[in-house]
Amino acid sequence: MTCSAVDPKRLAAARRRVFLALFIALAVSVHILEALLPSPIPWLRPGLANGMTLVALYLYDGHAAWSVSLTRVGIGALLLGRLFSPGFWLALAGALAATAVMVLLHCWAGRRLSPIGVSVAGAASHVCGQVLIARWLILRHDALWQVLPPLLLFAVLSGILTGWLATLLIDQIGQHPAFKTVPTGPGKTEDRVA
Amino acid sequence: MNSPWQIMTRGDWLVTVLLLGIALLGIGWLAATPPGSRVEATCGGQTCFVADLEQPQEVDLAGPLGMTHLVIDGQGARITASPCPLQICMTMGPARHTGDLLACVPNRILVSIEHAEDETPYDLLSR
Amino acid sequence: MPWNRPLIIIVLVLLLALTWWRLPSSDPEVRRSQLAMGTVVEIVAGGLANERLEKAVSAAFTEIARLDRLLSRYQPESDVSRLSAPVTEVRVAPETAEVIALGLDVARRSQGAFDLTLGRLKGLWAFEEDTPRIPDRAAIREALDGIGPGALTLSGQLVRKRAPSLMVDLGGIAKGYIVDRAAQLLRDLGVSYGAVNAGGDMMLIGQPPERPWRIGIQDPRAKGSVVATVQVSNRAVVTSGDYERFFLRDGQRYHHIFDPKSGIPARLCQSVTVITDSVALGDALATAIFVLGPEAGLDLLADYPHSEALIIAADGSHHASPGWAASVVSP
Repeated sequence: MTCSAVDPKRLAAARRRVFLALFIALAVSVHILEALLPSPIPWLRPGLANGMTLVALYLYDGHAAWSVSLTRVGIGALLLGRLFSPGFWLALAGALAATAVMVLLHCWAGRRLSPIGVSVAGAASHVCGQVLIARWLILRHDALWQVLPPLLLFAVLSGILTGWLATLLIDQIGQHPAFKTVPTGPGKTEDRVA
Repeated sequence: MNSPWQIMTRGDWLVTVLLLGIALLGIGWLAATPPGSRVEATCGGQTCFVADLEQPQEVDLAGPLGMTHLVIDGQGARITASPCPLQICMTMGPARHTGDLLACVPNRILVSIEHAEDETPYDLLSR
Repeated sequence: MPWNRPLIIIVLVLLLALTWWRLPSSDPEVRRSQLAMGTVVEIVAGGLANERLEKAVSAAFTEIARLDRLLSRYQPESDVSRLSAPVTEVRVAPETAEVIALGLDVARRSQGAFDLTLGRLKGLWAFEEDTPRIPDRAAIREALDGIGPGALTLSGQLVRKRAPSLMVDLGGIAKGYIVDRAAQLLRDLGVSYGAVNAGGDMMLIGQPPERPWRIGIQDPRAKGSVVATVQVSNRAVVTSGDYERFFLRDGQRYHHIFDPKSGIPARLCQSVTVITDSVALGDALATAIFVLGPEAGLDLLADYPHSEALIIAADGSHHASPGWAASVVSP
């Protein structure tokens, strides 16, 4: 990817698109893998796919994070054949809640939070969003609130795992020349914790 | 390769401990809920079985995949057989606290423990 | 790059979600009670726009009033009053003929446990009046003279009486028939779920959004508590009990369901609940089973498909038909 004749800004944009496409592809794979995992309450997933959103958030910005998470949910649903099914709404609700919280936290806290902290908060929001939507649209039974605390506990643990994996990935990918030359906004790639 | 504990900042710990605390509080609160008194099952979204939790019995609940076998005994309500592919519901019991759930979602069966006197259990009275 | 405008995408997705899911709008439900047929008639209707529901419920009450004029014993011009006059032949309305045909069928199949010609006997006991009384044996014997399944014959819309002195009393089945017709009218007017309840004779239409209708069955000896709750949709639920209209004298309970053989209140049951396809049939069956008692009653019920019954015998024991349990949700 060294084409000196090209305007560096356009090159950066093209690289960004290529990387985001890769992140989305990875996120979709993880998303589908997760969907195949057994879970005590179907459709409620640990949200490991949020890791790719996290990578996009730290290597690029909030826009990138939104692209990765929403596209992941859309493509994942298409591939699993459950577009507009209950599972889709749960995945969407989880992704919306998680991405919103992660983007906002990353923006506010800056480097005071490593990807792990952001991921833990994101995973918890993911679960809360899902249970909220599930209660509202699918199971309409107040007993559903009872699954929240155990899921939250699980989400915190899986959030640490996701965040840790995302950190490793960010460190690895961050060494790619593409990220050394990309002009990033304030508080983006610099936030990485070594 | 750094372990998560080396990466985590003070803020991370704050978030993690806070959320863990909320989750544990919630779990503690759940464990403290009084035992329920009524077992209510829905098949495909509709109530198909209601029973007293104190009264031991066994019943087959019909779902699209077949019969899910519900057992009510001194310990609570359990599912002992179900045609669901993963049979997760069989590992979820016994349920006995108000609000406990046994879900056999592939077979569209949801068993919950309720308080008996939360509402009039009927819409109309035949007399 | 449209993906750079996440807000727009979220808004679009949410809009799509809302239109796709079309959240069950809080459907209005109309619930109205009126006095009709000598009892409180309650109609519940839902699943339509509010004004259409109101219209449907009003139309149902109008239909009830119209049919009551035809079938009531208290309206001098009604078919039933004309049938009770000392005549041998009466041409009746098609609706009346339909009720009589059904009643005669149950009378025949129950070997007279259900009877359409108890008008004189019921007049004697005067349960419909303020001061019911115990008639003397001779009067009862006389009132039973000529009754039985063969007392009336129906050909087309022409009803023939075996003896001019016979007085016709359609009793509960007229009420049941009227409830059936009102429920059918509600269905025809597009009501997707509802109930017509006339003092325990009820028809359940369709199914409310959350779950089927749950019907509590009155405990015959404990007012306000139920012996069972059943879940039904599109069925008729009828209960006949000895606790509705009764008086106690010398420790004996005298109620309004008579054994046509003896002319005194039937003693074998406390209450009978029948779930079947029509309220009129349910009422006839409940009365017949009440008179026959648990064993013979369940035998009679076996002749009727899609019909289930719960009989509470005089000693308080419960007897249910084999298929009854399938509709019971509690206890």
